Amino acid sequence: MSSINEKFTPIRKGLLEFLVLKIIASDKVYAADILKELGATEFATQEGTLYPLLSKMRREELVDYEWKESEAGPPRKYYELTAKGRDQLRETSDYWQKIILTVKNLGQRQGQ
Amino acid sequence: MNKVIIINLNGNAYQLEEDAFDALRAYLDTARARLEGNPDRDEIIADIEQAIADKFRAFLGASKTVVLAAEVNSVIAEMGPVEAAGEAGAAQGAASAPAGGAKEAPKGGPQGAPRRLYRIHDGAMLAGVCNGLSTYLDIDVSLIRIIFFAMSCVWGFGVVVYLIMAVIIPTATTPDERAAAFGTPSTTQDFIKRARDGYYEGMRAFRDKSEYRAWKRKFRQEMRGWRQSFKMEMQRNAHQWAHNWHRHWAQHPPPVFLGGWLLAPVFALASLVVTLAVFYAIYSILVHGAVFGIAVPASVPSWAAIIILILLVQLVIWPLKAMRHSLTYGYGPPYCHPFVHFWNTVASLAVFVILVWLFIHHPSQAHDAIHNLARETRAAFDSFRDWLNTL
Repeated sequence: MSSINEKFTPIRKGLLEFLVLKIIASDKVYAADILKELGATEFATQEGTLYPLLSKMRREELVDYEWKESEAGPPRKYYELTAKGRDQLRETSDYWQKIILTVKNLGQRQGQ
Repeated sequence: MNKVIIINLNGNAYQLEEDAFDALRAYLDTARARLEGNPDRDEIIADIEQAIADKFRAFLGASKTVVLAAEVNSVIAEMGPVEAAGEAGAAQGAASAPAGGAKEAPKGGPQGAPRRLYRIHDGAMLAGVCNGLSTYLDIDVSLIRIIFFAMSCVWGFGVVVYLIMAVIIPTATTPDERAAAFGTPSTTQDFIKRARDGYYEGMRAFRDKSEYRAWKRKFRQEMRGWRQSFKMEMQRNAHQWAHNWHRHWAQHPPPVFLGGWLLAPVFALASLVVTLAVFYAIYSILVHGAVFGIAVPASVPSWAAIIILILLVQLVIWPLKAMRHSLTYGYGPPYCHPFVHFWNTVASLAVFVILVWLFIHHPSQAHDAIHNLARETRAAFDSFRDWLNTL
């Protein structure tokens, strides 16, 4: 099991941006929400990886953030998708569907 | 008993054990080093410090005010190592490229990131204008130099354009600016931050306030003197110009052609319209691959379509041009009457103003067009070289 886990490390890494787009698309979230949502899955991620990724996505104008006051502690950055980010999410989702289909259909003999 | 160190994490004060402080500092130093060259480094570090501060808060209470070494280590383990995300690596390469700038930059640079036009001194011949343009448009620097050289030889304004660009375009000196020149995206915030940094840098040069005031006074005085001499110079020039105009007018009779008084503005207007139409057609070929709704065949490259278009236009307006020529120069010795000259100047100025307006109000389209033009120039150049090789 652990060897499969290792083999898929680069794939999980590559998919992270897609998943972060998906999470942000569902609701305005701040970084800890994203980590919590990912934490319950195979894609559990740490701050050290997420913050640079979010800043890269902001520079690519896929996401944007606004400061919001929180009940406890200092104001937080709430992230949301830009129009460009939504386009990218749609494209990536389509592409992902294609990959799933390919994986499913490949190697199955004709007529079965 | 352990020594306690008070630290400031993104504006929050925390008390840490000495060992805890060392571990945290090592973690943040490593993070900083890993993000070297990332334009958002300070922001990411601030976010990380904030996240650490949030986690520390969970350990503290009314009876416990110090964060222990073991707790810091568990927080650091939770945070995980800071990794530069994908593209940051490319930006890092561009920013830390020691010399030879344009040539050593990763080919094409990070895609999808708007570049900024800077003058780049590494490997520059004069002021770095061609070098910067070459990086901005991703065209070989020699080609840009040849174009500038040709413009200077044929029309002479290559020199003027170069000088203006040398004055207007800032130099990429800091790693941040270097990274931006090679296509690391920047935001208005970054720009403001850079400007502010520069201001503080300048302020630091003055040891005390009186020195700064003295400098400001001197600067104002110099500005005033400069303004005065500029005004005098302008007045003198205007005088000279009016004088020349009168003399010229007296020496040369009005247009030979009687209708010239009326036709000169009409011709100027026609040339204005034709010039703008040609610009628009070139733009639509570059961006949409079609001219006035007629698609360019896929087998014809855009650069060829542009050349064909220009030739066609020349063919069509040739009789008009001949008429204007005879109107302008008459039958006598070749000279251009100031009246005709005036209208021609108005037309060229109008073209210039309209183009500038379009650039300001439709920057993204202008950007697309320029980039496609650069791509097409490159393609044309490559085809030409291939053709030479086949000979």
